[in-house]
Amino acid sequence: MSADLERTPRNLLVSERSSFLDPKNRISSQLVQLHFNYKVCVLLPECSSAPSHLDSALNTFSSFYLIRNLPLYELLDTHFLETVRHGGVSGLSYRTRLDEDNCVALMPNGRLSLSLDKDSFELLGVEGKPSRFNHRAKSRFVVCVDLTDSSMAPGGRGHQRLVTGLTSRLPLKTDFLMSLPAGGGASVQALLSRYDWSEHRPEVISCSLTDLLCPSPLTSDPSSLTSDPSSPLTSDPHRLLEWLGAVHAAVSCENSSSSFLSSLVCPEPNKKLSHALSVSVCGLLSHQDVQKLIQEIRVYLSVSPPGPASWASVTLHGFVDSPVSWGGEHGVLRGGDNFLSLTMFPDQSYLLHLAGGAQDTCPP
Amino acid sequence: MRRADKKDEPAVYQRVVLKNASPYHYLKVCLVVEDDSTRLSAVELKQFIITGLNSLYGEVGAALTFDLLKYDEDTLTALLRVYSRGLVKLWSSLTLLGSYQNQACAFRVLQVSPYLLALTGNSRELQLD
Amino acid sequence: MSVFMDLNVNYTADKSRLQSLIETAAHLGFSTVAINYVFEPTAKKKQEIPSPTPISELMDSLPVVQGRSRPIRVLNRLTIVMSDASHFRPTAVEYRRYDLLAVQPTTEKLFHAACMIYDVDIICISVTEKLPFFFKRAPVNGAIERGLVFEVSYSAAIRDSTMRRYTIANAVCLMETCKGKSVILSSAAEKPLELRGPYDITNLGLLFGLSEGEAKEAVSSTCRSVVLHAETRKTASGIVHTVKSCSQSAPADCEAPPAKRARSQLTE
Repeated sequence: MSADLERTPRNLLVSERSSFLDPKNRISSQLVQLHFNYKVCVLLPECSSAPSHLDSALNTFSSFYLIRNLPLYELLDTHFLETVRHGGVSGLSYRTRLDEDNCVALMPNGRLSLSLDKDSFELLGVEGKPSRFNHRAKSRFVVCVDLTDSSMAPGGRGHQRLVTGLTSRLPLKTDFLMSLPAGGGASVQALLSRYDWSEHRPEVISCSLTDLLCPSPLTSDPSSLTSDPSSPLTSDPHRLLEWLGAVHAAVSCENSSSSFLSSLVCPEPNKKLSHALSVSVCGLLSHQDVQKLIQEIRVYLSVSPPGPASWASVTLHGFVDSPVSWGGEHGVLRGGDNFLSLTMFPDQSYLLHLAGGAQDTCPP
Repeated sequence: MRRADKKDEPAVYQRVVLKNASPYHYLKVCLVVEDDSTRLSAVELKQFIITGLNSLYGEVGAALTFDLLKYDEDTLTALLRVYSRGLVKLWSSLTLLGSYQNQACAFRVLQVSPYLLALTGNSRELQLD
Repeated sequence: MSVFMDLNVNYTADKSRLQSLIETAAHLGFSTVAINYVFEPTAKKKQEIPSPTPISELMDSLPVVQGRSRPIRVLNRLTIVMSDASHFRPTAVEYRRYDLLAVQPTTEKLFHAACMIYDVDIICISVTEKLPFFFKRAPVNGAIERGLVFEVSYSAAIRDSTMRRYTIANAVCLMETCKGKSVILSSAAEKPLELRGPYDITNLGLLFGLSEGEAKEAVSSTCRSVVLHAETRKTASGIVHTVKSCSQSAPADCEAPPAKRARSQLTE
């Protein structure tokens, strides 16, 4: 029964190449299914400062709210439900860990997902199902309700049941992150005024890179990556992702494969880019803002003079402790990786990589 | 270990699903030493980790290759890369390392992932106040 | 899974070291720790069972668990190292001052008794010597059925390479018998730098022969069930809850010699 020490928990990587011009491309629905965006990292080669429209897209990510000690029944408040029904409200419990604590997610489409431990689930007394990732004993349960459903309207049966559960049997409170659709601030003032809250702007960090070693197809003929499936970077996406990771983590690739400290090298053949720009935005980011950013990058690529290194990469990290990701239940075994990486080219083609961890459904 | 469902359409669209195909795992670790003025160079740190592998897994363990991708001497924080099949061994040797030059020490493993990219976006690091 | 717990950090009279142990545990992400008082009676004379220092006297405010907004929960635990059956006194009131009760039997006979009869929560597996006996399936299963758990502690394996061999060998031996069920992994740390994070311990559990899921349960869900087991044990199957009512006369009681005090409380 001794465990195999060479095995690691499951990980999944979906690698897709397609084009924004392909009518069947699913990029926007795939982006939405990451559900909660924690950080977006943009890499622009041969660029020293972002053009103004792109810069403004990066700096105008809408702010989000942190509400401390919010009792969950407040999410079922009549006024708040009204706001939810208009769509675009998303929220996630903060300072809660999915593999240990009770976690809550409110998705922009009005679905509320609670990931509860066994005791809390039994106390709440609302229909749910055991988590897909339970080990042996059923220790975690998921309750999913659609707040836009008629039974969840104030006074409805489902609403009453959940409110009673959350007020009398399981008075759950949590720190809650919330992002609202543009101009939605006024509709939640009443809610905010009752609790300790603060507004936060996503943090933007911009970093100019020089003499960046870059794998060759990306320096000479980037579009070949999407047209030629035999290109080493396309056929082995892990090489591309590792290189991107090295760039964003500021890890040097200038080693020889025989050096003592590190044998990490940039995929061959490679060339040096004189400069590149890396920008990251961090916080609870709304899908609208992310889509707008991607749109601006597409415009940027199509108007910038065709050069040997015209492409752009966007990495979007999800929240580790979100109970949902990739359109299904999400869990944390030892790390809850869920992110996507999108590499775009001037001819509107793109490479998309979607990553999931040990407790994820297969990305869409 | 690989499952691929390719759709061979004339268009450029292609989708491949890779399962457990990640060749490496990456660890973000931080060494804490009793006397917090202790400083190690990158070479010393790597040597120290190899000693740990050697004492738990012997010569075969010491031959396990891993890379020290990045190291900050001031905070003793490092990024390591190891072949996926060596992860459990490397990690457990780090866990059981308890002294550096007769001083108590501990490796704090901050994050482990099959993707280096994931180490640059950990939402558990979000600090709002 | 439930929150991470380390149900064994060693008690030390050095208050600042104990505080720093608890702070480190909170910083590593443990939501609950138990301070372990080890009591090793000798056969010759009757010794006083230590009484736990109230948590409020140890720390003014408890540290916040890493990444969370709640403070760490601290329990008291007594471990009786037994070399003779008389060392365990089922009716001793002193035991009741502790949240968790553990025994470390040193002979096969005592191990059998601990598994099948003793009203305790945790059975400690020795990690500092070669196992003096083999684990038999019957007592191990009996203990599991009664809701007891087996504990393997890892800090000895950090301190010394010989101990490391014993720890791994004895742990593997246990896992083969109990099939990874009802096992908790804890530190038994004396110093903050001997503590490891919950995910580190999960990974270490693989060396002991646990699966990934079992290893994670060993620092979370299984710990939770043993804490619940202790609560029900103390409250007679969770139905009757007894509270000492003589709080007024308590200070006077404390002055009395331990043997007398015990008797007076028993007859209340």
